[in-house]
Amino acid sequence: MINVAIIDYKMGNLFSVFHACENVGLNPKISSDPKILKESDAAILPGVGAFGEAMETLEKLDLIKPIKEYIDTGKSFMGICLGFQLLFSESEEFGLHKGLGIFEGMVKKFSITSINGGNVKIPQIGWNQIYNYGNSWELSPLVGIDEGEYMYFVHSYYVEPVDDKIKMTKTIYECFEYCSSINKGNVFATQFHPEKSAKEGLKIYKNWARQINNRG
Amino acid sequence: MNHRIIARLDIKGPNLVKGIHLEGLRVLGKPEKFARYYYEMGADELYFQDVVASLYNRNSLHDIISKTAKEIFIPLTVGGGLRTIDDIKMVLRAGADKVSLNTAAIKNPELVRDASHRFGSSTIVVAIEAIKQDDHTYLAYTDNGREYTGIEVVKWAKQVEELGAGEICLTSVDNEGTGIGYDYELIRMVATSVSIPVIAHGGAGSPKDIKRVISESKVDAVAVASILHYGLLSCLNDENFNTEEGNIEFLKNGNQFTKITPTTIDEIKNYLYDNKITCRYKK
Amino acid sequence: MAQQLEVKYGLPSEVKFCKKCVMSNQRPASSIEFKHTISSKKVTIHFDEYGICDACRQTEEKEKINWEKREEKLFKLLDKYRRNDGYYDCLVPGSGGKDSGYQAHILKYKYGMHPLTCTWPPILYTDYGYKNFKNWLDVGGFDNITFNQNGKVMRLLTKLSIENLLHPFQTFILGQKNLAPKIALKYGIPLIFYGENEAEYGNPIADNSTSLRDKSFYSMININEIYLGGVSIKELQEKYKISLADLLAFLPADYKELEKSNIEVHYLGYYLKWTPQESYYYSVANTGFKARPFRTQGTYSKYNSIDDKIDDLHYYTTFIKFGIGRATYDASQEIRNKHLTREEGQALVKRFDGEFPDKYFNEIMEYLDINPDKFFELCDQFRSPHLWAKVNNKWKLRHTVNNDGVDD
Repeated sequence: MINVAIIDYKMGNLFSVFHACENVGLNPKISSDPKILKESDAAILPGVGAFGEAMETLEKLDLIKPIKEYIDTGKSFMGICLGFQLLFSESEEFGLHKGLGIFEGMVKKFSITSINGGNVKIPQIGWNQIYNYGNSWELSPLVGIDEGEYMYFVHSYYVEPVDDKIKMTKTIYECFEYCSSINKGNVFATQFHPEKSAKEGLKIYKNWARQINNRG
Repeated sequence: MNHRIIARLDIKGPNLVKGIHLEGLRVLGKPEKFARYYYEMGADELYFQDVVASLYNRNSLHDIISKTAKEIFIPLTVGGGLRTIDDIKMVLRAGADKVSLNTAAIKNPELVRDASHRFGSSTIVVAIEAIKQDDHTYLAYTDNGREYTGIEVVKWAKQVEELGAGEICLTSVDNEGTGIGYDYELIRMVATSVSIPVIAHGGAGSPKDIKRVISESKVDAVAVASILHYGLLSCLNDENFNTEEGNIEFLKNGNQFTKITPTTIDEIKNYLYDNKITCRYKK
Repeated sequence: MAQQLEVKYGLPSEVKFCKKCVMSNQRPASSIEFKHTISSKKVTIHFDEYGICDACRQTEEKEKINWEKREEKLFKLLDKYRRNDGYYDCLVPGSGGKDSGYQAHILKYKYGMHPLTCTWPPILYTDYGYKNFKNWLDVGGFDNITFNQNGKVMRLLTKLSIENLLHPFQTFILGQKNLAPKIALKYGIPLIFYGENEAEYGNPIADNSTSLRDKSFYSMININEIYLGGVSIKELQEKYKISLADLLAFLPADYKELEKSNIEVHYLGYYLKWTPQESYYYSVANTGFKARPFRTQGTYSKYNSIDDKIDDLHYYTTFIKFGIGRATYDASQEIRNKHLTREEGQALVKRFDGEFPDKYFNEIMEYLDINPDKFFELCDQFRSPHLWAKVNNKWKLRHTVNNDGVDD
């Protein structure tokens, strides 16, 4: 039985993540208790909402240090959407905010001017395709996923990772290309929501679950 | 961008229902069953609307939301009778990803601001039910197309965006359920006046209409009901019946269609693909 | 209650609600309109010993009907009357609402008949109601005779109906019932089709055993027995200076002429299972019917009887006289059709019954030349004390289906 801690910092609906974990045979628990995080075999940092508010809440709940320590242990860690963005150094959402700084990089707002004269809708809400950056997906939960597969996105901000080697997928929104997922060692994080991406998204959870197994 | 095809299910109690002009509660079957089929067949999202919640002042979709959330892994929007922050919380907790507000939003616009702030803009959809007036203006109605508010639709849409809503679902009550096509003018007016995504709802009779509303009226997504439900109905077997409650005469007798061409999600997306409308589709 | 409360109109003194639907026992059965005066005692809907009303019982009986056999009967009847020489073979009275939309269309296109439609137009057309009427003919495809009433007389009779009977619709009902046989006589059409049988809604079950309408409803034997707007023909002629010629349009066809003819009146609802909500769907799909673009005041629905502005006021007066508003009528019918549960019906009654129809009220008062205050005075006069009590200067029902009346 693999215990997965889904970190609850009051931002967004965690139930889809919970159900997706259950669906692939994991034993998920939603909690803001650092002890539970520490004791789990794997952890997920989900979230939807504003970067600054998220960091403040994480601080208030005394979760920042526990998360960093957890990642240091080498146990599997997945960040989703806001959880993906928080892993980076800094965001410009509603002023400048420091993130967890696990990876170097900025979080910026989409500022796309339309080519064909229509409105560019922000946030991006809907399905979009993921493509390879040239780094192998083999050791990540993306193994076996088709190039160009569709995933579900909801976001107004995107991440610019400094290290090119960790970039897994790129996505194009209104002709603008950005990084939609990263993988390094035990940390896998996606801008999109695999738990909202139908069967292919569930595959990602399945792969992630299998890789937890292999790890330890 | 990839235009979304959202399967919309109007629900009353245990039944999937389908009206015309948001009126009439003809029973078509079990919503869980239809939802599951649409998920399997490639729907981009699901939208559950409790059509009598405002009428009876009750919220009763929690069971089907939970059931759906456990097995269906695409976004689920839930609307109907959500009046307070607590109502929204309950529905999200039951498993919904987004909530749709209409009556409560018009009565108390600050609720939209409050909810967007608390739950995130992208969680809040505001539904606008538009009815064309004699002077050709469009006004917003509440309570499933029943109550007059006097509020002009474009003005309200802009206000909704300012209040922080993530999306707008625009229903043309005049066209809804008839299969005569969308109200392209109305939808275009609203879609081009806001920079949040707009979902068109009401009137699709065939994939052609869907293509037209996307390319002409510049919407980002469509919510369809009649053409999918009547299409699926012809494939399902008899155990679909729920004989306890509701207008099941149609199910018992079967019927002819006039302007609605029953279709499938695949047919819709195939048609869009062939007509160069981007959507989530692999040929 | 210690004191004896006056009971008007010969209504049952104890107020009871059907255990299945939400109708009360104060509901009058259809009366013979042209004999209707202020002193008429109402025959009301019957409740059996289990507290269930006739209409609900009737619906139960309907479940046992072999509709295939009934349709066979219809085929036989239609085969007998169908003409293929270009002449009309049946007459469908209606207004282009959801019911006549369904009736006319199905007779013509499914059963191959050649109907003429006839219309006694509303006292005050709503514009969407008029559109529906036009679409009935233009989209559905029917010939139509509309008898446009003498507006001056119609106005006067409607006014008198309100003042004497608090029944704004009395004149409309007269025309509706009496027109078809007269048109049938003039055009030599031997078959008239109405929709539902009135027993569906609580008139004595005995009426249903044949599908022919009781001729007494529409035939006229002695003109001196006739009252219009609660006023005798004699008084209308002498006091109001209306000639007989002006009144004939409202009166039934001549009994002797009818006897000589072989006209038959049938209810389609006897032969085909009638679900009003399905008629709505059918009419939208086939005759261009469109529901009202807002909720009807006094109820929750949008597609029942929406072409006459006075209709809303009519239901308000039934609420005053019998404590029964439009939501009760609509909900009871839908409960019987199993579209609603009784609890839902109760909630709808609580929310909408008796809602004052202010949208067209002033226009109607102006049209009829009645002072609005006078109208409200009339309302108060017509309230039966056994139904109403004044609490904090507001009128409240003594008994409601939700058990929240003053005396409940």
